[in-house]
Amino acid sequence: MDRRNFIKYNSIIALGGLAVTTFAQGNKPITIAFFVKNVTNPFWKGCRIGAEKAAKELGVSLEVVAPTKPDNIEEQTRLVEDWIVKKPDAFVFVPVDFKALVPSIQKVNKAGIPVVGYNNRMTDVDLVSYIGSDDELIEYEASTFLFKSMGGKGKIVHIDGVPAASTAQARKKGLERALKDFPGIELLVSQPGQYRRLPAVQVFENLMQRYPEIDGVVSANDDMAVGIAEALISAGRANKTKVIGVDGIPDALAAISAGKMFATADFSGHDQAYLAVHAAVRNLRKLSVPKEIKLPIVIISKQNISSFPSTPEERSVPSWDKTVASQK
Amino acid sequence: MNLINKNQLFNYSKDNFFILSRVFSILFLIIFLSIISPQFLGWNNILNIIRQASIQFLISAGLTLVILTAGIDLAVGAILGLSACFAASLMVDGQLELAIVAGLISGLLAGSLNGFLVAFGRITPFIATYGVLWIASGLGYVFMKGEVLHSFPPSFRYIGTGNLFGIPVTILIAGIILIILHILLHKTVFGRSIYAIGGNPSSARLSGISVKSKLFYIYTLSGLLSSFAALIVMARINSVDSSIGEDLLLPAIAAVCLGGTSLFGGVGGIAGTAIGALILSLVINGMNLLGVPSFWQSGVMGAIILGSVLADQYGSGRSLIKS
Repeated sequence: MDRRNFIKYNSIIALGGLAVTTFAQGNKPITIAFFVKNVTNPFWKGCRIGAEKAAKELGVSLEVVAPTKPDNIEEQTRLVEDWIVKKPDAFVFVPVDFKALVPSIQKVNKAGIPVVGYNNRMTDVDLVSYIGSDDELIEYEASTFLFKSMGGKGKIVHIDGVPAASTAQARKKGLERALKDFPGIELLVSQPGQYRRLPAVQVFENLMQRYPEIDGVVSANDDMAVGIAEALISAGRANKTKVIGVDGIPDALAAISAGKMFATADFSGHDQAYLAVHAAVRNLRKLSVPKEIKLPIVIISKQNISSFPSTPEERSVPSWDKTVASQK
Repeated sequence: MNLINKNQLFNYSKDNFFILSRVFSILFLIIFLSIISPQFLGWNNILNIIRQASIQFLISAGLTLVILTAGIDLAVGAILGLSACFAASLMVDGQLELAIVAGLISGLLAGSLNGFLVAFGRITPFIATYGVLWIASGLGYVFMKGEVLHSFPPSFRYIGTGNLFGIPVTILIAGIILIILHILLHKTVFGRSIYAIGGNPSSARLSGISVKSKLFYIYTLSGLLSSFAALIVMARINSVDSSIGEDLLLPAIAAVCLGGTSLFGGVGGIAGTAIGALILSLVINGMNLLGVPSFWQSGVMGAIILGSVLADQYGSGRSLIKS
């Protein structure tokens, strides 16, 4: 209710400010259907907040669309179909599965609704623009950062996400690439933690029994990484093992500040979503939009944590012009 | 009445035989794993396995009672999640006692909704609890809005991570719950009526058992036990998001089945579930220690569950399907 009123008032203000533009578009406020993969992982909350900030700035209304069952392909397919019927002015879309949702987005293309993609790349669909980074690269950079800090040698454990998920497979590839660069690093074992804390903690507890010496842990996301860090503390092995995650969720940032966890690689869903909504609106307003915007990956560790606000609400928004200019 | 008692006695002795066979399969697993994995038999690993099994047992405990009545409670995971959300939100505000009470009450209420729908609304347990599953997880999503709550007080985390006389507190708690529920099932009228309802609801009613109110209490108790398990899980992982209860349902059912409780009711018991939970934990621990590749683990789990149920059917001559 609050948010809606907020957006409404801001839309009115913005409409006043952009009278010329809106007049040209026939006074109808722009509606963007903004998709996320779920409402459970804080990463997507960060995305939503980034998108809401952009919508507020631009004076458009934003409808957040999420499957009730997290990352459910079938449900997202239905949601896309529903939204084709509702005909928003644009889709800002992230597929729960980059292959399975291709036919759905092709339908959106056919219906003539512009689509901006973010976070997960899709092929064979017509996107106005894609804003993101890739999973392989982020895990590669995170692993590289960890391996360097270990002096290029030691034993690591990999806690995988959901083995069948495309993001988990790409992240694993990134780790494998980094391992090739560091022959002194030995991968002891890779086991699935399902991207969730409870299974990850249990798997890791079992692995601690098998391996008395673990120098580093590469976790496919932060939620699991924080749990692993906690498990190490419970076992009294916290200062021997460095844990790195991916996503930059608030919980992980708190753990890094407290010295419980080593580092995380930040995707900045917040920035991606913010820029994606900008791209969608710019496209509707006939302004130039690059085909792709790649965001830099930032590794957050104890050294630079102080410059990262712990919640997405406090984060500053990136500048569109500067980000686009930095692409080349 | 006589007839029912005889029938129960019969089942009970068969249950003992069954538990013995399960103990043998556990021994077999232990011997097998300790031969191929040198780390397996360490004291720490044993405590580790039992602690993981304790959590699995607490999640499956309420479900066992429900399944004994020939019902099913699909909402155990969702109720666990909802209770955890409520409790966590109060706990991060610093209201520890209130948080625990609120968590337990929300489980109690959700369980009683199940009970009401099944007993008085006459809805099939599968459908009633399936509906409640969606309601509970939906409420969790609305309530949390993608937030993750973390960092609970150390005094609370003691129940999930602390030790008493060198034994993890979680194990002791699970042991106490096991004893209480075992006594409830086998030494009280209430417990006997659970078996009677599961065995044959019509004859249970004819022999003077108020089936409706008993069912209501059993589902309510199941909800309460789920919320109790929620507190332990919270204390253990030190964070809660709205998806915390997902994926807990199927392993919970698996532990009950592995423990020899028939999905058709009237046969089995709570000790079996404890053993089932232990087998599940042993197998997962073994696969982790041996580094079984991710993609194979679910398949192995399924094969073990099917294999053990088949072995029961043909080995002990005890059919899990009532003839």
